[in-house]
Formats: sequence, structure tokens, C-alpha cells
Amino acid sequence: MTPPGLPPAAEEPRRRLHPLSPLLHGFKTLAVIVAALSWQTLSQVGLERFALVVAVVTVGAVVFSVIGWLNTGYHVVGKELRIQDGLLWQRNRAIPLERLQAVELRRPLLAQLTGLAELRLEVVGGSKTEAPLAYLTVRDAAALRERLLALAGQAAADDPAAPSSPAVPEQALLRVANRDLLISQLLTPQAFFLPVGVAFVITQTVLEATWSFVGIASTVTAMAGVLLQPVRRVLQDWDFRLARDGGGRLVVRYGLLETRSQVVPLHRVQSVRVTWPLLWRGMRWLHLRLDIAGYAGPQNGADKRSDRLLPVGDNDTGRALVWDVLPGADLAALPTSPPPARARWLHPFAVRRLGAGLGPEVFVVRWGLLTRELHLVPYARLQSVRVVQGPVQRVLRLATVYGDAAGGRSIAARDRDLGEAWLLAQQLAVRARLARTPEPLTRNVVADSPDVAHTPE
Amino acid sequence: MPSALEPWPDAVHWRPVSAKLITVELLARAVSFVVMLIVLIGGWALQGHWLWPTGIAVLVVFTVWRSVVTVRAVRAWGYAERDHDLLVRHGLLVRKLSIVPYARMQYVDVTAGPIERVFGLATVQLHTAAAASDARVPGLPPAEAARLRDRLTALGEDRAEGL
Repeated sequence: MTPPGLPPAAEEPRRRLHPLSPLLHGFKTLAVIVAALSWQTLSQVGLERFALVVAVVTVGAVVFSVIGWLNTGYHVVGKELRIQDGLLWQRNRAIPLERLQAVELRRPLLAQLTGLAELRLEVVGGSKTEAPLAYLTVRDAAALRERLLALAGQAAADDPAAPSSPAVPEQALLRVANRDLLISQLLTPQAFFLPVGVAFVITQTVLEATWSFVGIASTVTAMAGVLLQPVRRVLQDWDFRLARDGGGRLVVRYGLLETRSQVVPLHRVQSVRVTWPLLWRGMRWLHLRLDIAGYAGPQNGADKRSDRLLPVGDNDTGRALVWDVLPGADLAALPTSPPPARARWLHPFAVRRLGAGLGPEVFVVRWGLLTRELHLVPYARLQSVRVVQGPVQRVLRLATVYGDAAGGRSIAARDRDLGEAWLLAQQLAVRARLARTPEPLTRNVVADSPDVAHTPE
Repeated sequence: MPSALEPWPDAVHWRPVSAKLITVELLARAVSFVVMLIVLIGGWALQGHWLWPTGIAVLVVFTVWRSVVTVRAVRAWGYAERDHDLLVRHGLLVRKLSIVPYARMQYVDVTAGPIERVFGLATVQLHTAAAASDARVPGLPPAEAARLRDRLTALGEDRAEGL
């Protein structure tokens, strides 16, 4: 629907996905089916029947995909991307581009072989990735992404953080050495347990003759799920590159078997999480993740989500990167203070590692005894502030202050002194409001007196 | 005691929720109490195990305790409209205060359940882009609910912005 004020722009025709898409979808379904049937079924029904079932289901899946492909189309109308899909129930979705958070271009192995790509849009309010357009040719996908982002940038034209001049070439920010990535994933608990797991399987096979091939295969499959996580990480984060494109947006590229390239406008970054894993401490390494509103909460399997900002890096790299993503946040100079000593009753060991503070542009919280973590939320991204006091906290005169960012993630300053908690909450509310207003001059007005919030304006 | 939970007490004018909410909550509790009581008595009649009367006793004690708490819990609910944000506080055992800026509002829900409707009450809930935001004000008379809704929407439109 064109807005009433504008002349009806030449309505562009609905476009189809690439004709090879149904075939690729069919193969994807095949993999899922084989996984679902499992080794157990294979041993029960025998190889031939197993192959027959798989073949029938695959053909069925491809036929369904073809029908689906015939019904699927997309086009850009005004400031909306319209997607039509559905097999039995036709679905028309209009995605308002001003709500676009990030666009990702994914190329699974099969798509790489066929020169195709999948375009995934992250839209705020969606509980899952909205509208994966699978598959387009790489050129089409890149062009569509550029166009969608340009439209989204226009929609937010009053936002000073979104200048759009795509003519400026990309500027590389950093590249993670694959050697570091490998070492970092060897320094994980799973990697340490791998020899134990292998030894277990071998001893079982040698000692217990009753173990059949299926039993071993099932055990290996089950263990692979957990123990091979470092391997998956390596494959996923392989050749990790960060760049900044002409519009000041962050471009993240990584992956070996499945390459992903994600474009995030910087003003869409909701929070940054810094982690110092215990085993990496000897190397003085950290890793960084960022949250974007579109991605669903942590329950959806951390591996699937594209939230990497830095898979592994030293402190200086991390510091420079955080400064790039959240200007004004210096990782080395964040003012955090621990909770009062009486919070020891609630955190006997970790109390000294807890901390919270108000940085120049960000609310920062740190915790963790073994794996140290630090969360940063820019004031401008805070959605609401909560103060919660449980019964034990009431006795100790403590309270927890939550800052809620979009996308289901909250940042919590645990067990602060009650008076300090009120002050924190009040400061967060005021600073969030000032950070939202366009003129940055007002930021200097933030005083430490709690009365500021109530001065009439 | 409750004054400890009031931030900036002199500057914020807390509005209470309607006392009729106590009746609504008690009625809702009575309904669930009767249902569970019937189930337990039925079980006792059929089986006669000593666990059934114990369950009834626990249920009665729990219901009485919750009912007493309800009265105080409803009195603990409060909301305040400031220039830029809505404050909501509630909870007795775990005390909560939410500060939700009007500018962050995505939409407002006004709901009224069957028992609430009989007593002429409604619940207003403010939604932001963060799922964790907790700004629900129950037990409002319809006129007050409509006023709050309209004021929130108006302020939200005034200060509407993306993320």
C-alpha cells in the first residue's frame, strides 16, 4: 500500500526466489529426516527399507518445496518488504523497514556450491528471524540487502547515527587469526573432556563384546553433540572479519562451511557482552558478543544466533572494538563499584567480583568468579528500569536494579545498597531520557543529585 | 515499612489501585479453592487415604494465608505518572518497582476478566520492546483505566521514537 500522500510509485512486480531453492530445501529436509530416524531405526528396518523411506520422503519434500516455491514471492513496496508464502495457508507479510535491526546473508555449504545465498532479516518484535528469503543468487541477495538497509536508513533519517552514503568503500576493522581461534577452542572444557570421552568409548568397545555397531554409533553421535561444540565454533567462526561499510554500519563475516555476513547498523546494538573465560586467562583473551533486538532470547540455541562481535581477542583489541561499537565506552576505564560487604551473605565467594557502575554513555555490570563477564548497555537503548527487593535482601537492606534492553535481555546490578539502588534507578531513568533526546549537549546536565528528575521543565 | 520502598517520597504522588480489587482477588481465589476442595474431597471419598484430609488442611491454611496477604498486597500496588515515565510498584514478599519511560511504549493493553468486569475494574498494561518490562496496573475503575490509557497513548505519540 502506498502512503496516500505520495504518487503511486511504479509497483514493482513480485519476484520469485531462485528456481534451485526447492531442491536445496529438499536436501535440508533430507538431513533432518535422517537425523530424526536415527541409528536405532536403521538397525531395525535394514538398509534397503531405510533408503526407500528416505527416498520417498525426500521426493515428497521436494514436491512440497516446489509448490511452496511457486507460491512464494517478495517485493518492496514503499518502505515495506512484502513477502508472500505458504503452502496451504497463504500468508502475506509486510515488514516495515524502519523496524529492521540487522540483515544477514547466510550461505550454507550447498548454497555455496550452487552460488546461492539466504537473506535473513531481523525485525524488532519478532520472536524469530523474520522472513528468511532462501534462496537468492548472491548478487541479488547483496543488492536487496543494500536496498533494504538504505530504505531502513532513510526511515530513520532523523537519527543522526545513520548517515547513508553507500559510495564510500568498506574499511576493514580487524581480522581474527585462525590460529588464535583454534587455540581458543582447544582451551575449552569440552576440548579437555574429549580424550576422556574417546577413552570411554574405546574401553566400552574393548571390554564389552555385546556392544553392537549401533550402540557405538549412537554413543558417538550423542557425545558429538556436546563434545564437538568447539569444533563447530571453529567452523562457524573461521576467518572472522569485521569491517565498517560506507554508511558507518558494522559488517561481520565468518564461517567455513556456512558463511555468514551480517550488516548491523551501529545504533541497533542493544548491548555488548564481554566474557573472560577461566581457561583463556593465561592468554589474556576475551570474547565479545552483541545483542540486537530482533534475535530471540537465549533459549534458541546459542550456536544458531549470529551475535559474535569478536570470537577471541586480546584486551587491547576488545577495548578498541568496544569503543568502535559503543563510542564513549572504554573497556579499561569503566567505573564499577562492588556491592556493600554485607552482600557477602548472598554471594559468599563472588561478592568481590560483582560490580555495577554508570559509565559516560553506558550502564555497566560485571560478575563471575571463574568466568568473568561484563555487560554494557548504552543508556539510549534502555527500555525500562526496575528495582526488585526480595525478602532476604530486605533484611540486609539490599536491592537489585535491572535495566531492560529490547529483545528480552536484562542487565542486573545485583544486591546494591538500598539507597544506592534508588540512586542508580533514578540516574538510569534520567540518563536514558537524556541519551534519547537528539541534542547531546544536555548530557552534561546529568548531575548526581537525585532531585534532578523532578525539576519542572 | 512501606516508606522504604518509596523512592523520592516527597516528589512522587502514588495512586492506589481500587480496594475492590481485594474482592476480585478473593473471589478468584475462592473459585480455585472450591475447585481444588471438590477434587480433594472426591479423592478422599473414593480412596480414604490419610493424605487426602492432610491435603485439605494444607489447602485451607494456604488459602487463608494467601487471602490475608492479598489484602495487604493490593494495598501495596501503586502507580505514579511522572513527567517522563510511569512508575509502578507492587509485591510484598518480593518488592518491585518499575520505571517505564513513555517514549519507550510500544502499545497499551486494557483487559478486564469476567470477575473484574462484574466489579467494574480493568487492568492497564504498558508494553515496551523489552519483554522484561513489567508495568501492569490492575484494579482500575473503567474511567481511570481509559484516562490512563489515553494519557499514555498521547504521551507515547508525543515522544514516539524507534529503538
